[in-house]
Amino acid sequence: MVYELIIVGGGPGGVAAGVYVARKKIKTLLITDGFGGQSLVSADVQNWIGTKSVSGFDLGKMLEEHLRAQEGIEIIDGDLVEAISEISSGFSVKTKAGKTFETKYVLVASGSRRRKLGVPGEKEFDGKGVFYCSICDAPVMDGKVSAVIGGGNAGLEAVIDLIPYASKIYLLERGEHPKGDAVTFEKIKTNPKVEILTMAETREVSGSEFVTGLKYKDLRSGTANELAVSGVFVEIGAIPNSDFVKGLVDLNAFGEIVVDHKTQQTSKSGIWAVGDASDVRYKQNNISAGDAVKAILNIHEFLTKHS
Amino acid sequence: MANVKIYSTPSCVYCKMAKDFFQKNGVQYEDYNVAADKKAREEMVNKSHQLGVPVIDVDGEIYVGFDRASLAQALHIK
Repeated sequence: MVYELIIVGGGPGGVAAGVYVARKKIKTLLITDGFGGQSLVSADVQNWIGTKSVSGFDLGKMLEEHLRAQEGIEIIDGDLVEAISEISSGFSVKTKAGKTFETKYVLVASGSRRRKLGVPGEKEFDGKGVFYCSICDAPVMDGKVSAVIGGGNAGLEAVIDLIPYASKIYLLERGEHPKGDAVTFEKIKTNPKVEILTMAETREVSGSEFVTGLKYKDLRSGTANELAVSGVFVEIGAIPNSDFVKGLVDLNAFGEIVVDHKTQQTSKSGIWAVGDASDVRYKQNNISAGDAVKAILNIHEFLTKHS
Repeated sequence: MANVKIYSTPSCVYCKMAKDFFQKNGVQYEDYNVAADKKAREEMVNKSHQLGVPVIDVDGEIYVGFDRASLAQALHIK
Protein backbone atom coordinates (compact mmCIF):
# COMPACT_ATOMS: atom_id res chain seq x y z
CA MET A 1 0.00 0.00 0.00
CA VAL A 2 1.43 3.36 -1.02
CA TYR A 3 -0.07 6.48 0.53
CA GLU A 4 -0.23 9.74 -1.34
CA LEU A 5 0.75 11.60 1.81
CA ILE A 6 2.06 10.86 5.30
CA ILE A 7 1.61 13.62 7.88
CA VAL A 8 4.06 13.51 10.78
CA GLY A 9 2.63 15.07 13.95
CA GLY A 10 -0.65 15.68 15.81
CA GLY A 11 -0.30 19.29 16.92
CA PRO A 12 -2.26 22.14 15.34
CA GLY A 13 -0.22 21.84 12.13
CA GLY A 14 -0.71 18.11 11.65
CA VAL A 15 -4.40 18.24 12.51
CA ALA A 16 -5.14 21.23 10.24
CA ALA A 17 -3.38 19.34 7.46
CA GLY A 18 -5.48 16.25 8.22
CA VAL A 19 -8.73 18.18 7.98
CA TYR A 20 -7.73 19.70 4.64
CA VAL A 21 -6.50 16.44 3.06
CA ALA A 22 -9.83 14.82 3.87
CA ARG A 23 -11.58 17.63 2.00
CA LYS A 24 -9.26 17.12 -0.97
CA LYS A 25 -9.59 13.31 -0.84
CA ILE A 26 -5.85 12.76 -0.66
CA LYS A 27 -5.02 9.21 0.52
CA THR A 28 -3.31 10.01 3.81
CA LEU A 29 -1.84 8.48 6.94
CA LEU A 30 -1.20 10.67 9.99
CA ILE A 31 1.32 9.42 12.56
CA THR A 32 1.59 11.02 15.99
CA ASP A 33 2.46 10.17 19.58
CA GLY A 34 -0.44 12.31 20.82
CA PHE A 35 -2.66 15.29 20.04
CA GLY A 36 -2.28 18.92 21.01
CA GLY A 37 1.39 19.63 20.52
CA GLN A 38 3.34 21.68 23.03
CA SER A 39 0.30 23.57 24.32
CA LEU A 40 -0.88 20.33 25.90
CA VAL A 41 0.72 21.32 29.19
CA SER A 42 -0.57 24.89 29.12
CA ALA A 43 -3.15 25.71 31.84
CA ASP A 44 -5.04 28.20 29.77
CA VAL A 45 -4.71 29.02 26.07
CA GLN A 46 -6.41 32.33 25.35
CA ASN A 47 -5.32 32.98 21.79
CA TRP A 48 -6.55 29.98 19.82
CA ILE A 49 -8.74 31.91 17.41
CA GLY A 50 -12.46 31.28 17.88
CA THR A 51 -11.98 30.13 21.48
CA LYS A 52 -11.78 32.63 24.36
CA SER A 53 -10.14 30.24 26.79
CA VAL A 54 -9.27 26.56 26.68
CA SER A 55 -6.85 24.35 28.60
CA GLY A 56 -4.05 22.74 26.60
CA PHE A 57 -5.50 19.32 27.43
CA ASP A 58 -8.94 20.28 26.06
CA LEU A 59 -7.37 21.92 23.01
CA GLY A 60 -5.66 18.59 22.31
CA LYS A 61 -9.01 16.81 22.61
CA MET A 62 -10.73 19.35 20.32
CA LEU A 63 -8.04 18.83 17.71
CA GLU A 64 -8.28 15.04 17.97
CA GLU A 65 -12.09 15.11 17.66
CA HIS A 66 -11.96 17.39 14.65
CA LEU A 67 -9.46 15.11 12.96
CA ARG A 68 -11.35 11.92 13.78
CA ALA A 69 -14.54 13.43 12.32
CA GLN A 70 -12.88 13.40 8.88
CA GLU A 71 -13.56 10.56 6.51
CA GLY A 72 -10.85 8.64 4.73
CA ILE A 73 -7.81 9.62 6.75
CA GLU A 74 -5.92 6.87 8.57
CA ILE A 75 -4.49 7.71 11.99
CA ILE A 76 -1.78 6.09 14.09
CA ASP A 77 -1.81 7.51 17.61
CA GLY A 78 0.91 6.44 20.05
CA ASP A 79 3.87 5.98 17.75
CA LEU A 80 6.69 8.23 16.54
CA VAL A 81 8.39 8.63 13.17
CA GLU A 82 12.07 7.79 13.55
CA ALA A 83 13.45 7.83 10.01
CA ILE A 84 12.48 8.85 6.50
CA SER A 85 14.42 7.70 3.44
CA GLU A 86 14.00 8.13 -0.28
CA ILE A 87 12.79 5.18 -2.37
CA SER A 88 11.75 4.86 -6.03
CA SER A 89 8.02 5.36 -5.33
CA GLY A 90 8.67 8.34 -3.04
CA PHE A 91 9.60 7.90 0.62
CA SER A 92 9.80 5.17 3.21
CA VAL A 93 8.71 6.17 6.71
CA LYS A 94 9.87 4.13 9.70
CA THR A 95 8.35 4.36 13.17
CA LYS A 96 9.64 3.69 16.69
CA ALA A 97 7.32 0.66 16.96
CA GLY A 98 9.16 -0.79 13.95
CA LYS A 99 6.51 -0.24 11.27
CA THR A 100 7.39 0.93 7.77
CA PHE A 101 5.09 2.80 5.39
CA GLU A 102 5.49 3.97 1.80
CA THR A 103 4.27 7.30 0.57
CA LYS A 104 4.59 9.61 -2.39
CA TYR A 105 4.84 12.76 -0.28
CA VAL A 106 5.55 13.74 3.33
CA LEU A 107 4.40 16.66 5.43
CA VAL A 108 6.56 17.21 8.50
CA ALA A 109 4.58 18.83 11.34
CA SER A 110 6.56 17.30 14.18
CA GLY A 111 6.98 20.47 16.23
CA SER A 112 9.73 20.85 18.79
CA ARG A 113 10.79 19.55 22.18
CA ARG A 114 12.11 21.16 25.36
CA ARG A 115 15.57 22.61 25.40
CA LYS A 116 17.59 21.54 28.43
CA LEU A 117 19.96 23.71 30.43
CA GLY A 118 22.99 21.50 29.96
CA VAL A 119 24.47 22.43 33.34
CA PRO A 120 25.86 20.11 36.04
CA GLY A 121 23.15 18.63 38.24
CA GLU A 122 20.31 19.01 35.73
CA LYS A 123 20.29 15.35 34.70
CA GLU A 124 21.05 13.95 38.15
CA PHE A 125 18.14 15.84 39.70
CA ASP A 126 15.62 15.32 36.89
CA GLY A 127 12.35 14.70 38.75
CA LYS A 128 14.14 15.30 42.04
CA GLY A 129 13.58 19.02 41.94
CA VAL A 130 14.37 19.71 38.28
CA PHE A 131 11.08 19.86 36.38
CA TYR A 132 9.95 20.53 32.81
CA CYS A 133 6.18 20.63 33.40
CA SER A 134 5.22 23.41 35.79
CA ILE A 135 1.47 22.76 35.69
CA CYS A 136 2.11 19.09 36.55
CA ASP A 137 4.66 19.50 39.28
CA ALA A 138 4.02 22.95 40.83
CA PRO A 139 1.83 21.43 43.61
CA VAL A 140 4.77 19.46 45.05
CA MET A 141 6.48 22.81 45.70
CA ASP A 142 3.86 23.56 48.35
CA GLY A 143 5.49 25.90 50.88
CA LYS A 144 8.89 25.60 49.19
CA VAL A 145 11.21 28.02 47.41
CA SER A 146 11.41 27.52 43.64
CA ALA A 147 13.25 28.95 40.68
CA VAL A 148 12.00 29.29 37.12
CA ILE A 149 14.68 29.49 34.44
CA GLY A 150 13.69 31.50 31.37
CA GLY A 151 11.68 34.68 30.93
CA GLY A 152 9.75 33.79 27.79
CA ASN A 153 6.01 33.06 27.83
CA ALA A 154 6.52 29.52 29.13
CA GLY A 155 8.69 30.80 31.98
CA LEU A 156 6.18 33.48 32.96
CA GLU A 157 3.38 30.89 32.89
CA ALA A 158 5.44 28.60 35.10
CA VAL A 159 5.67 31.42 37.65
CA ILE A 160 1.87 31.76 37.54
CA ASP A 161 1.49 27.98 38.02
CA LEU A 162 3.77 28.19 41.08
CA ILE A 163 2.24 31.24 42.81
CA PRO A 164 -0.54 29.26 44.59
CA TYR A 165 1.98 26.80 46.04
CA ALA A 166 5.57 28.00 46.38
CA SER A 167 6.58 30.25 49.27
CA LYS A 168 8.92 32.20 47.00
CA ILE A 169 9.69 32.13 43.30
CA TYR A 170 12.82 33.39 41.62
CA LEU A 171 12.56 34.04 37.89
CA LEU A 172 15.98 33.90 36.22
CA GLU A 173 16.39 35.50 32.81
CA ARG A 174 19.72 35.58 31.00
CA GLY A 175 18.89 38.70 29.00
CA GLU A 176 18.18 42.23 30.18
CA HIS A 177 14.38 41.82 30.18
CA PRO A 178 11.97 38.87 30.23
CA LYS A 179 10.74 38.38 26.66
CA GLY A 180 7.28 37.02 27.45
CA ASP A 181 3.95 38.79 26.84
CA ALA A 182 3.46 42.04 28.73
CA VAL A 183 0.01 40.90 29.94
CA THR A 184 1.49 37.89 31.75
CA PHE A 185 4.50 39.84 33.01
CA GLU A 186 2.24 42.48 34.60
CA LYS A 187 0.49 39.71 36.54
CA ILE A 188 3.65 38.41 38.15
CA LYS A 189 5.92 41.41 38.65
CA THR A 190 3.86 42.94 41.46
CA ASN A 191 3.38 39.65 43.31
CA PRO A 192 5.37 39.81 46.59
CA LYS A 193 6.36 36.13 46.26
CA VAL A 194 8.13 36.73 42.95
CA GLU A 195 11.68 38.02 42.60
CA ILE A 196 12.95 38.65 39.09
CA LEU A 197 16.66 38.28 38.40
CA THR A 198 17.83 39.49 34.98
CA MET A 199 21.24 38.97 33.37
CA ALA A 200 21.37 35.81 35.46
CA GLU A 201 22.98 32.78 33.84
CA THR A 202 22.26 29.42 35.48
CA ARG A 203 25.46 27.43 36.12
CA GLU A 204 24.60 24.47 38.33
CA VAL A 205 21.83 22.66 40.16
CA SER A 206 22.95 21.19 43.47
CA GLY A 207 21.59 19.00 46.26
CA SER A 208 21.93 15.59 47.87
CA GLU A 209 18.90 13.32 47.42
CA PHE A 210 16.79 16.21 46.17
CA VAL A 211 17.57 19.72 44.90
CA THR A 212 18.65 22.21 47.54
CA GLY A 213 20.34 24.93 45.55
CA LEU A 214 21.00 26.72 42.29
CA LYS A 215 24.17 28.52 41.27
CA TYR A 216 24.07 31.37 38.77
CA LYS A 217 26.38 34.03 37.41
CA ASP A 218 25.34 37.66 37.52
CA LEU A 219 26.35 38.79 34.01
CA ARG A 220 26.38 42.47 35.04
CA SER A 221 28.87 42.17 37.88
CA GLY A 222 30.43 38.85 36.87
CA THR A 223 29.91 37.48 40.38
CA ALA A 224 28.82 33.93 41.19
CA ASN A 225 25.71 33.61 43.37
CA GLU A 226 23.76 30.82 44.97
CA LEU A 227 20.07 30.48 45.78
CA ALA A 228 18.57 28.00 48.24
CA VAL A 229 15.72 26.38 46.27
CA SER A 230 13.89 23.03 46.30
CA GLY A 231 12.63 23.22 42.75
CA VAL A 232 14.04 24.35 39.40
CA PHE A 233 11.56 24.68 36.54
CA VAL A 234 13.32 24.83 33.17
CA GLU A 235 11.55 26.87 30.48
CA ILE A 236 14.27 27.96 28.07
CA GLY A 237 12.72 27.29 24.70
CA ALA A 238 12.67 24.46 22.25
CA ILE A 239 14.63 22.35 19.78
CA PRO A 240 12.95 21.42 16.47
CA ASN A 241 12.10 17.74 15.95
CA SER A 242 13.88 17.41 12.64
CA ASP A 243 16.42 14.63 13.34
CA PHE A 244 14.51 12.10 11.24
CA VAL A 245 14.89 14.19 8.04
CA LYS A 246 18.49 15.26 8.67
CA GLY A 247 20.50 14.73 5.48
CA LEU A 248 17.32 14.53 3.41
CA VAL A 249 16.26 18.18 3.59
CA ASP A 250 18.19 21.38 4.33
CA LEU A 251 18.26 22.45 7.98
CA ASN A 252 19.45 25.83 9.24
CA ALA A 253 21.96 26.37 12.07
CA PHE A 254 19.17 25.89 14.65
CA GLY A 255 18.11 22.54 13.18
CA GLU A 256 14.94 24.03 11.71
CA ILE A 257 13.77 22.74 8.33
CA VAL A 258 14.25 25.45 5.72
CA VAL A 259 11.05 26.01 3.73
CA ASP A 260 9.75 28.23 0.94
CA HIS A 261 7.27 30.31 2.92
CA LYS A 262 4.89 30.65 -0.04
CA THR A 263 4.39 26.89 -0.42
CA GLN A 264 6.01 25.24 2.66
CA GLN A 265 8.15 23.12 0.32
CA THR A 266 11.51 21.98 1.67
CA SER A 267 14.73 21.67 -0.32
CA LYS A 268 13.70 18.09 -1.18
CA SER A 269 10.93 17.76 -3.76
CA GLY A 270 8.05 15.78 -2.22
CA ILE A 271 8.64 16.89 1.37
CA TRP A 272 6.83 19.81 2.98
CA ALA A 273 7.28 21.15 6.52
CA VAL A 274 5.21 23.43 8.77
CA GLY A 275 5.11 24.81 12.28
CA ASP A 276 7.83 24.70 14.91
CA ALA A 277 9.90 22.12 13.04
CA SER A 278 10.25 24.61 10.18
CA ASP A 279 12.14 27.89 9.99
CA VAL A 280 8.94 29.91 10.37
CA ARG A 281 9.86 33.07 12.24
CA TYR A 282 7.04 33.01 14.80
CA LYS A 283 6.16 29.75 16.55
CA GLN A 284 2.43 29.90 17.20
CA ASN A 285 -0.46 27.41 17.15
CA ASN A 286 -2.50 29.53 14.76
CA ILE A 287 0.43 30.01 12.41
CA SER A 288 1.21 26.27 12.37
CA ALA A 289 -2.40 25.56 11.45
CA GLY A 290 -2.41 28.20 8.71
CA ASP A 291 0.91 27.07 7.26
CA ALA A 292 -0.36 23.47 7.21
CA VAL A 293 -3.40 24.54 5.18
CA LYS A 294 -1.06 26.31 2.78
CA ALA A 295 1.05 23.15 2.49
CA ILE A 296 -1.95 20.90 1.77
CA LEU A 297 -3.27 23.22 -0.95
CA ASN A 298 0.18 23.16 -2.51
CA ILE A 299 0.41 19.37 -2.20
CA HIS A 300 -3.01 19.08 -3.83
CA GLU A 301 -1.78 21.20 -6.74
CA PHE A 302 1.29 18.99 -6.97
CA LEU A 303 -0.81 15.80 -7.03
CA THR A 304 -3.10 17.18 -9.70
CA LYS A 305 -0.14 18.14 -11.88
CA HIS A 306 1.77 14.90 -11.36
CA SER A 307 -1.03 12.35 -11.84
CA MET B 1 -6.63 -8.00 37.53
CA ALA B 2 -3.58 -5.89 38.30
CA ASN B 3 -3.56 -3.62 41.34
CA VAL B 4 -3.02 -0.12 39.89
CA LYS B 5 -2.38 3.09 41.81
CA ILE B 6 -1.72 6.50 40.31
CA TYR B 7 -0.19 9.41 42.23
CA SER B 8 -1.29 12.58 40.48
CA THR B 9 -2.07 16.28 40.72
CA PRO B 10 -5.38 17.69 39.46
CA SER B 11 -3.70 20.00 36.93
CA CYS B 12 -1.27 17.45 35.51
CA VAL B 13 -1.95 16.66 31.86
CA TYR B 14 0.07 13.45 31.74
CA CYS B 15 -1.88 12.23 34.78
CA LYS B 16 -5.13 12.91 32.91
CA MET B 17 -3.77 11.11 29.87
CA ALA B 18 -2.83 8.10 32.00
CA LYS B 19 -6.28 8.00 33.63
CA ASP B 20 -7.94 8.36 30.20
CA PHE B 21 -5.81 5.45 29.02
CA PHE B 22 -6.88 3.30 32.01
CA GLN B 23 -10.56 4.16 31.48
CA LYS B 24 -10.47 3.45 27.74
CA ASN B 25 -8.92 0.06 28.43
CA GLY B 26 -11.13 -0.90 31.36
CA VAL B 27 -8.30 -0.77 33.91
CA GLN B 28 -9.46 -0.13 37.49
CA TYR B 29 -7.17 2.15 39.47
CA GLU B 30 -6.91 4.06 42.71
CA ASP B 31 -6.13 7.75 42.32
CA TYR B 32 -4.14 9.64 44.97
CA ASN B 33 -4.06 13.43 44.72
CA VAL B 34 -0.59 14.34 46.01
CA ALA B 35 -1.36 18.07 45.85
CA ALA B 36 -3.83 17.64 48.73
CA ASP B 37 -2.79 14.37 50.38
CA LYS B 38 0.59 14.73 52.13
CA LYS B 39 0.71 11.08 53.17
CA ALA B 40 0.24 10.00 49.57
CA ARG B 41 2.96 12.44 48.50
CA GLU B 42 5.41 10.85 50.94
CA GLU B 43 4.42 7.39 49.76
CA MET B 44 5.01 8.47 46.15
CA VAL B 45 8.47 9.91 46.96
CA ASN B 46 9.43 6.77 48.90
CA LYS B 47 8.36 4.53 46.05
CA SER B 48 9.83 6.53 43.16
CA HIS B 49 12.69 8.44 44.85
CA GLN B 50 11.65 11.53 42.95
CA LEU B 51 9.01 14.27 43.07
CA GLY B 52 7.48 14.43 39.57
CA VAL B 53 3.95 13.26 38.72
CA PRO B 54 2.43 10.98 37.63
CA VAL B 55 3.84 7.99 39.44
CA ILE B 56 2.05 4.76 38.58
CA ASP B 57 2.28 1.60 40.65
CA VAL B 58 1.31 -1.60 38.83
CA ASP B 59 1.50 -4.54 41.27
CA GLY B 60 4.50 -2.92 42.97
CA GLU B 61 6.29 -2.05 39.73
CA ILE B 62 6.87 1.73 39.63
CA TYR B 63 6.49 3.85 36.48
CA VAL B 64 7.43 7.54 36.52
CA GLY B 65 5.60 9.63 33.92
CA PHE B 66 3.04 8.41 31.39
CA ASP B 67 4.74 5.96 29.07
CA ARG B 68 1.90 4.38 27.15
CA ALA B 69 4.00 1.58 25.63
CA SER B 70 5.44 0.26 28.90
CA LEU B 71 2.10 0.56 30.72
CA ALA B 72 0.36 -1.30 27.89
CA GLN B 73 2.92 -4.05 28.27
CA ALA B 74 2.60 -4.20 32.06
CA LEU B 75 -1.20 -4.35 31.84
CA HIS B 76 -1.30 -6.69 28.83
CA ILE B 77 -3.16 -4.15 26.69
CA LYS B 78 -2.79 -4.47 22.94
